[in-house]
Formats: sequence, structure tokens, C-alpha cells
Amino acid sequence: MNGPGVNGPGANGPRERAARLLRCYPRAWRARYGEEFTELLIADLAERPKSPARTADVIRGGIVARLTDAGLCGPAPDGAERAGQRARASLASLACCAALFLGLGGAIWSQLAIGWQWSAPDTTAAVATVVMSGAMLVLAGLALLAGLPVARAVAARIARGRARGLIVPSALFLGGLVVMVVGGRHFGNGWPGTGGHPWTHPGPVPGGVAAFAWASTLSVSSFWAHPAALAAFPAAELTWMALSPLALACLVTGAAAALRRTELSPAVLRFETRLARAACLTMAVFLGAGWAWIADRAPRAGSLFHPGVIDVAGLAVMALALATGWQAARQAAR
Amino acid sequence: MAADKALDGFGRYAGPATLILASLAGGAKHGYALTKDIESFAGVRVAPGTLYEALARLQGQGLIEPVESQDRRRPYRLTAAGATTLQAQLDAQRRVADIGLRRLAQGWGPA
Repeated sequence: MNGPGVNGPGANGPRERAARLLRCYPRAWRARYGEEFTELLIADLAERPKSPARTADVIRGGIVARLTDAGLCGPAPDGAERAGQRARASLASLACCAALFLGLGGAIWSQLAIGWQWSAPDTTAAVATVVMSGAMLVLAGLALLAGLPVARAVAARIARGRARGLIVPSALFLGGLVVMVVGGRHFGNGWPGTGGHPWTHPGPVPGGVAAFAWASTLSVSSFWAHPAALAAFPAAELTWMALSPLALACLVTGAAAALRRTELSPAVLRFETRLARAACLTMAVFLGAGWAWIADRAPRAGSLFHPGVIDVAGLAVMALALATGWQAARQAAR
Repeated sequence: MAADKALDGFGRYAGPATLILASLAGGAKHGYALTKDIESFAGVRVAPGTLYEALARLQGQGLIEPVESQDRRRPYRLTAAGATTLQAQLDAQRRVADIGLRRLAQGWGPA
């Protein structure tokens, strides 16, 4: 059965529109269904040139396909191989969510941890800082435990000469990691009160760790909304504020891509899934401490331990990242 | 996979999936042909995004399979598992329809 107007005059219009609509879908989906879906769209566009309902349906379908590709929704896959692919995609999405969570959470936590060095916090801020510090420690341990088997599998594949598809992700990860470590240490050491300077009120977090977290998350700043104040910053610091999110994005993208492309045994996947659940619970604890700190004070400037609007916004985004990460962990376990 | 449970995970795509299976029971069809066939026997037009989401899920569950074709419009056909699932799905729908119709005929009236 032929669709109307497929090869007739003016066929380029529907074809171009179909090509635009097709971009809503992820690359893997386009590779599998792109040609035939384009033909269906062309026929449909020729029959109904204007249909907002069709456009909305295709956009919605594209979003669902992207979420499915990211391992965030969709039915349980059939077969062990597909189940493994889906689990790795879900875990990679969780890793991205956790990175976003830690990027924003690290900014809040380091702010409190460094503030503790300058003046003793009250009970709520102190409890929140201690809980967040514990959660950070647990999350660092979980990240290490989760990363080791994947790194081992990636290294084994590269050693066997099957490095195709892993070189770029590995380079992105290592490059991002080096930039974050070197930059974080450089700018952390330049922060007054840390990097070997004596503290007024030693807190629960070693100064070097707090300063490193602070420097690594320097880009999470309300100064972006105040260009005049930002212009007074040293050029090196401004460059770091712009560069560090890119480095972090490279690190996370590389890790996620390597995870998606590396086959892991069912036992390792089960182990990773258990760690994913534990990470979500730990992030929930961290988030609870953050909200307790916010709820105890109205956001305003003027004190080391008073939250700003950026902290509230950060916690809101972290809640969203946690919800998405939890969904990914659930999908990985299916 | 139990045949009567096969479409349980389809959620909002269970309806379009049943229509697609019913259409393919009449022979292999590509996307546009499926749309027109479903429109002719069910009176509904399945939008392209919904159609392909349902097709992808059905294929993922092994209920349909693509047919080799040189054409850009790839046809799909029902598998044996798909036929069993469709049978179970339609039997369940018929049971509901029979009960509803019988009750309407026997006892329905304004309260």
C-alpha cells in the first residue's frame, strides 16, 4: 500500500519536516527505525499537512524513546543480553544523576564545612554538616566500589585489543579527572584558612578535603547573576569557574559511556545495582540534612551558615536528580 | 511468558498493541498500511509516535518480527507468540463484552 504524495510534487516539504521530527528520537532508535518511521511520517504529513496532535505525539514518543534508551523507563527487556544492556544504561544514568547531585551537594557541604573553620555553627548547622559529611564519605566509598569492577572490565577489554568504542570515553574520563584534581587542589590551596593554615574552629572535615570540594564546585555560585562582581574576580579563577563544569561533564560522560559499552557479568551487575540502591538511600540522607539546614533558617545573606537562594535551588535540583536516579536504580534491578 | 500477561507491561500502549496484533493477524504490513487498516476496522487513527512505540515494544517481546524487504517501509508480521497473545487478549475482551451485554439485556434500567 502506498502512502499519498510520497513521491509526488512537493514531496521535499514533508520529507524535511519528517527529518526534523525524527531528530526527537535517540541515535540508536533512528538507526533501527529511522527509515521506515520517516516514510510513515511523510505519508501522514501528505495526508494531514497540519496536525498539532501528531507533532505532540511524535515529540512525546521521542521523549519516551530517549528515556527508554537511558534505561529510565520501558518494559523489562527480553533476553539476558538486552537485560544487561538496559541495566548498564540505567546504571550510567544513575551515575550522571549522582554526579549532578554531588556537584551541587558538594558546593553546599563544602560551604558548611569551611564555614565551621571560621565560626562554630549552631546545633542544626552542626548536625547537618556532620550528617552530610558522613553521607559524602559513604558516597565516596560506594563510588570507589562501583568504579573498580567497571575499570577492571574496561582495562581487560583494552588489554585484549578490543578497545574500540572505549578509547574516547576513557580519555574523556581521565582528562576530566586530571583537570578536576589538579584544578581543585590548586584553587583549594589558595583558599585562606585551609591548605595548611591554622583554623579557628577545627570541624569534622579535614581542611584540605573541604577546600578541595569547595574549589571543585566553585562554578556553583550566585555570582553568575552579578556580572559586575564577577568581573572583579581574578582571570584564573573565572577561567576555572567556566572550565571545571566542562571537566566534570567530560569525566561523567566518559564514565557513563564506558559503562554502557562494557559488558559486565550478571554477578557484577547485581553488585552494582545493590550499590546503586545504597547510593540513592545515602543521597536521600544527605538531602534530608540539607533541607533541615534550609528549614531552620530563611535564606538570606550575611552569615556563614545562612543558606542563599542558590542553596535552595540547588537542593531542589538535587531532589530531582535523586528521583531520577532512584528510577534508574529501579530499572536496573528489573 | 504467560500469553494473557504478555501485554501487562505495555501500560498505555496495550490498546494500540492489541490493534496492531489484530491488524497483523490479517497479514504482514508496514507502518502506513497498519495505520490505514486499523482506521478501517477500529475507527481510530493510531498516531505515528504511538504506533512505533507499540511496534518497538511488541518486537522487543517477540510478539511481532520484521520481514526482510528492499523497501524503506519495513513490513512486520505476527509471530506464534504474538498470535497466542492476541488470542488470549481477545478472549479476555470478549468475556468482558459478553458479561456487559448480558447484564445490559437482563437487568439494566433507570434506578
